[in-house]
Amino acid sequence: MSAPLAPAEEAGVAAAVAEAFAANAPLAVEGAGTKRAMLRPVQAARTLSTRALAGITLYRPKELVIAARAGTPLAEVEAALAAEGQMLIAEPPSAAPWGGGAATLGGVVAANLSGPRRISGGAMRDHVLGIRFVNGRGEVLRSGGRVLKNVTGLDLCKLLAGSHGTLGVLTEITLKVLPRPETAATLVIRVADAAAGVRALSAGLGSPFGVSGAAVLPDAAEGPLALLRIEDFASFVAYRIGRLRDLLLPFGESRIADAAETDALWAAIRDGAPLAAGPEEALWRASVKPTDGPRVLAALREAGLRGYLDWGGGLVWIAGPATAAAHAAVTAAASPGSFTLLRAPDALRAAVPVIPEEPPPLAALSRRVKAALDPKGILNPGRMRAGL
Amino acid sequence: MIRQPEPKPEVLSRRDEIVAALRALVPPHPLSGESVIADPLRLKPYETDGLSAYRQPPLAVVLPSTTDEVASVLRFCHANGVRVVPRGAGTSLSGGALPMADSVVIGLMRMNRILEVDFDNRLAVVEAGVTNIGITRAVEERGFFYAPDPSSQLACMIGGNVMMNSGGAHCLKYGVTANNLLGLTFVTIEGEVLRLGGAHLDAAGYDWLGLVTGSEGQLGVVTEVTVRILRGPEGARAMLAAFGSVEAAGRAVDAIIGSGIIPVALEFMDRPCIHACEAFAHAGYPLDAEAMLIIEVEGSVAEQDELLARIRDICAPLNPTSMKIAESAEQSAAIWKGRKGAFGAIGRISPDYLCMDGTIPTSELPGVLTRIGEMSRRYGLAVANVFHAGDGNLHPLIMFDANDPDSLRRAEAFGAEILKLCVEVGGCLTGEHGVGVEKRDLMGVQFTARELDQQRAIKSAFDPGWLLNPSKVFPLAQAAG
Amino acid sequence: MQTSFTPEQLRDPDIAESNRILRTCVHCGMCTATCPTFLLLGDELDSPRGRIYLIKDMLESGRPATEEVVRHVDRCLSCLSCMTTCPSGVNYMHLVDHARTYIEDTYARPWPDRAMRRLLAFLLPSVWRFRVALIGASLARPLARLIPGRSATAERLRAMLRLAPAHVPGPSAMERPGVFRAQGPRKGRVALLVGCAQQVLAPSINEATIRLFTRMGYDVVVRREQGCCGALTHHMGMRAAAMRAARANILAWHDEITREGLDAILINASGCGTTVKDYGHMFRQEPEAAAAAAVSALALDVTEALWRFGYRPTREPPGLTVAYHSACSLQHGQKVTAEPVALLRRAGFAVATPKDAHLCCGSAGTYNILQPVIAGRLRARKLAALEALKPDLIAAGNIGCLTQLSGGAVPTVHTIELLDWMAGGPQPAAGGAARGA
Repeated sequence: MSAPLAPAEEAGVAAAVAEAFAANAPLAVEGAGTKRAMLRPVQAARTLSTRALAGITLYRPKELVIAARAGTPLAEVEAALAAEGQMLIAEPPSAAPWGGGAATLGGVVAANLSGPRRISGGAMRDHVLGIRFVNGRGEVLRSGGRVLKNVTGLDLCKLLAGSHGTLGVLTEITLKVLPRPETAATLVIRVADAAAGVRALSAGLGSPFGVSGAAVLPDAAEGPLALLRIEDFASFVAYRIGRLRDLLLPFGESRIADAAETDALWAAIRDGAPLAAGPEEALWRASVKPTDGPRVLAALREAGLRGYLDWGGGLVWIAGPATAAAHAAVTAAASPGSFTLLRAPDALRAAVPVIPEEPPPLAALSRRVKAALDPKGILNPGRMRAGL
Repeated sequence: MIRQPEPKPEVLSRRDEIVAALRALVPPHPLSGESVIADPLRLKPYETDGLSAYRQPPLAVVLPSTTDEVASVLRFCHANGVRVVPRGAGTSLSGGALPMADSVVIGLMRMNRILEVDFDNRLAVVEAGVTNIGITRAVEERGFFYAPDPSSQLACMIGGNVMMNSGGAHCLKYGVTANNLLGLTFVTIEGEVLRLGGAHLDAAGYDWLGLVTGSEGQLGVVTEVTVRILRGPEGARAMLAAFGSVEAAGRAVDAIIGSGIIPVALEFMDRPCIHACEAFAHAGYPLDAEAMLIIEVEGSVAEQDELLARIRDICAPLNPTSMKIAESAEQSAAIWKGRKGAFGAIGRISPDYLCMDGTIPTSELPGVLTRIGEMSRRYGLAVANVFHAGDGNLHPLIMFDANDPDSLRRAEAFGAEILKLCVEVGGCLTGEHGVGVEKRDLMGVQFTARELDQQRAIKSAFDPGWLLNPSKVFPLAQAAG
Repeated sequence: MQTSFTPEQLRDPDIAESNRILRTCVHCGMCTATCPTFLLLGDELDSPRGRIYLIKDMLESGRPATEEVVRHVDRCLSCLSCMTTCPSGVNYMHLVDHARTYIEDTYARPWPDRAMRRLLAFLLPSVWRFRVALIGASLARPLARLIPGRSATAERLRAMLRLAPAHVPGPSAMERPGVFRAQGPRKGRVALLVGCAQQVLAPSINEATIRLFTRMGYDVVVRREQGCCGALTHHMGMRAAAMRAARANILAWHDEITREGLDAILINASGCGTTVKDYGHMFRQEPEAAAAAAVSALALDVTEALWRFGYRPTREPPGLTVAYHSACSLQHGQKVTAEPVALLRRAGFAVATPKDAHLCCGSAGTYNILQPVIAGRLRARKLAALEALKPDLIAAGNIGCLTQLSGGAVPTVHTIELLDWMAGGPQPAAGGAARGA
């Protein structure tokens, strides 16, 4: 494999793709390459990286808008926001599940990775106001813009978010951001089991107190825990966490974690840390109906896997042996929801469907949409599905 | 009158045969006695939607009651090359449901059942013809609500909301339709019934929900929708802040957002709009003000008090002419009644209006409003401004008289100039009403030819024959046939 | 909204009026949401906006009404829910009234339909004819099931018999023309519309009204010349008959106004109230225009009058829950919504209001006879919503609704009867039924 192409300008990206298009030569598309072990391995002669395409291009705190080139490290974006007391709403995971590194903004958006605040604030893709990208013909295109509301034309921002570089190479992304809440606290409840934990989360999310994180750690040192986070102005947090504690008393004894502990707790939950997965183990995330979470956990345990729940029970973080049997167990347990093989050795990732298969009419649409953007199939071929 | 593509003569000439086939596919409704309308007289009311300046009766109207009936109609239309215009409540302000002479209108208003409410998983499954407010009504007894709240929420249907990615006054905090969906039952032009998403968030694979939402009927027909429902706050309260100038109100918006407070809604009205809405809602709007903000906050009573006090302090240095905090739920409701009825209320002072929907960066507000005022004088047409100030989504209402053809022509030109201005200052043509037929020919102002071709290619992937909701979204000249 | 009337057409004052109304409509579609027939039938043509469009087309064309347009206009309940919803202030009532007259003038209905309408117009507004007919119908009630066929006429006949009460009360001594004198110091003088069908079906309503107002210190005048308000024929488009009935009332009350003066003209059937309050408009081009306007200005629903005159209960709260059904003519036609509920609460009742309170019960004048299937659906829906409140009683301010909602699990009663009871009057029959339960 020759050295990755890493143009410092959008025109360079366009030229690289246009050349690959002319030569019918597939490209592996990546940012910093932190998530290479995610989804399927890509067979491509060359790698096109956006890592050199870096820098914040526009930041208007009063308009709640930031734009940065795709290769800008996530940490750089977050630092710029923090300086103005703002934040990324979706609380995306760091590169920790893949062994660390400086994940790029483009990579996080292309993977549509969202953290605990997904349930209250929306997904990464929900805050993408605009993108610039290069399609499979090497054409520079835009979708969306830099304003908070925009329904002009088809929404390619959402289509490209979560398409893992298979439909186009993101070059610049404009995001909606929000003020960082003044403080946060977490109600930590010792629950009987995961099922009771999810019932507590449902009750909390069904309360008027604005829960912004809701997780169950079934294997915590103190026994199964349900965690509910509140973020807001300090006086509001004090009031709401107290009300929430009263409301959820029937679910078990509880304590309130302060802001510092809260930050640490949810950073861990965001990054899959409670799984303490060994480097040889595989990682999955499954998205299911929240009340199905405990059933999924139980089925996984049967199969020798372990996991915990975020998103009110709807997101299952899973770790276990990197085997086809374990993967089959995840696939079965997640149905009728969705799953993603987050991390595994190449052999497993190449051998199994790393995301759920689509019924034939939808699979046909996937192929047609892929062809509409990348007619020769040169962008990250096979990354999401074999043959796509 | 808007230009339409040529109707297909081979479809027009087979009209009776097509109507007979539709009658065979969709049985008569038990109460009304029919499900297919084909006589010219009764097709007239279907010739337009909320944008009544554009009119064209369809070939026929079919009113299915089930997803299977919708699928069978689409299968038939696909096999016979018949164009299809999906329609919900017909409240589109961009002509999103404008028929063509050779098209079959599929009206989804009979699909108005609530299929499932699941409080534990915070979701509801409803048919496409359930009204936006109907979802909230179905879940409000447990304190839940469906967040997006377009002004037409009383009438507009969730299927149309999905197709237009509708927003509303409260999307500053809660997001637009796309941010509040979990799943769709989606029927392709081939008549395939697809389930997109489900009861879970963020399915892996291409984001079909995200692509279909806001696609204005170009990709398929939605018959069922799984929405997220949210537990409402402990309470909410609105306040009015009135200012002696549009600029002062604009500065107040900036100052509030800049302070770190995100009100659940932040709405702006100018003088003409204040007067028209007050005549309808009797909400106690300040009739002496040049501009007014409706600011709503949520939380416990103490939280509301604290937020409103902070907002009052932020507004005070800008010399508001008056500030009034709602003292009861009824007063808040009256304040919102005026805002939500704003478009219709213009009917009290003008026989017709065009409602623009561009979005601009909020910092551009004062300058853009000044220029709209200049245009108003130049075109000789009055304009009332009402908009979602927090997110820069403008709704200038251009008043004209449809009985005077020159008046309509000037109104259209005025509107186009406003939208071009929005794009020029870094905004877009439409924030929530959709491109429809109205802004179709302005798409080239915002997008390059290549960008439009890319969107067309995606449309073709779903609808190779371009049968779905023809003559919308894409500029006519280059639309694939 | 754009219209295309010719200058000649616009010289017709009725057309000019309709043109003005149509021009107010901006076609926003809000009205569809609260229209009962759109909800049930799911067709724009059975919504206010669709009907407005059909009417516009019919009037612009100047051609006779067609069967298709008539079908959809006939399905309109005239509940006027759309007018409450409309942000633009479209006067749908006057538009649809014009359309109904236009239809009556230009469209030849099939004979069974015509005969049925003539029969209703002949019977209902006349107290004695209606009483005789009702006695006949009550005897024939058991035969309803025996009427064969699924034709519209058969449905209508069955509906008529079903609506007839099992027992027809005798004429009330209290409704004879004359002046019922105030008890105690006299505070004022009011006229009462004793009406037509209501007198026959439920004389207790007028009795309660007279008792309560005289007890509160008002002379209550019942004029010999007054009769039906004209609403029944008005809503069938029979303009001449409606104007005849209305004119008699206007002259009688105007005479009373000019001689001894009136503080109010009381109406205790809200369907009639909407029409009496519209006399000023109906007679705007007649010699009686000024008198009609004066009468309309004095017309008050009984609950409006009681609120204004300071109603006070004298009995202890009865511990009953009342489901208050807001008649369309009251809530949409007259926009009287707060007073009845506030008065019932003041009288000591626990008051609950049903879900979808804006929707019609299906009574709508003669609608439950002329459109029995749709009316039946609306009745079932309304009863379910009311019964879900688990009330002891259902109260409403309109005889049509009371008749339509009777026969369910909960007894029905006029609001005024409850208010009279709590202020010293006799216990209404329905109140006893609720208590006995």
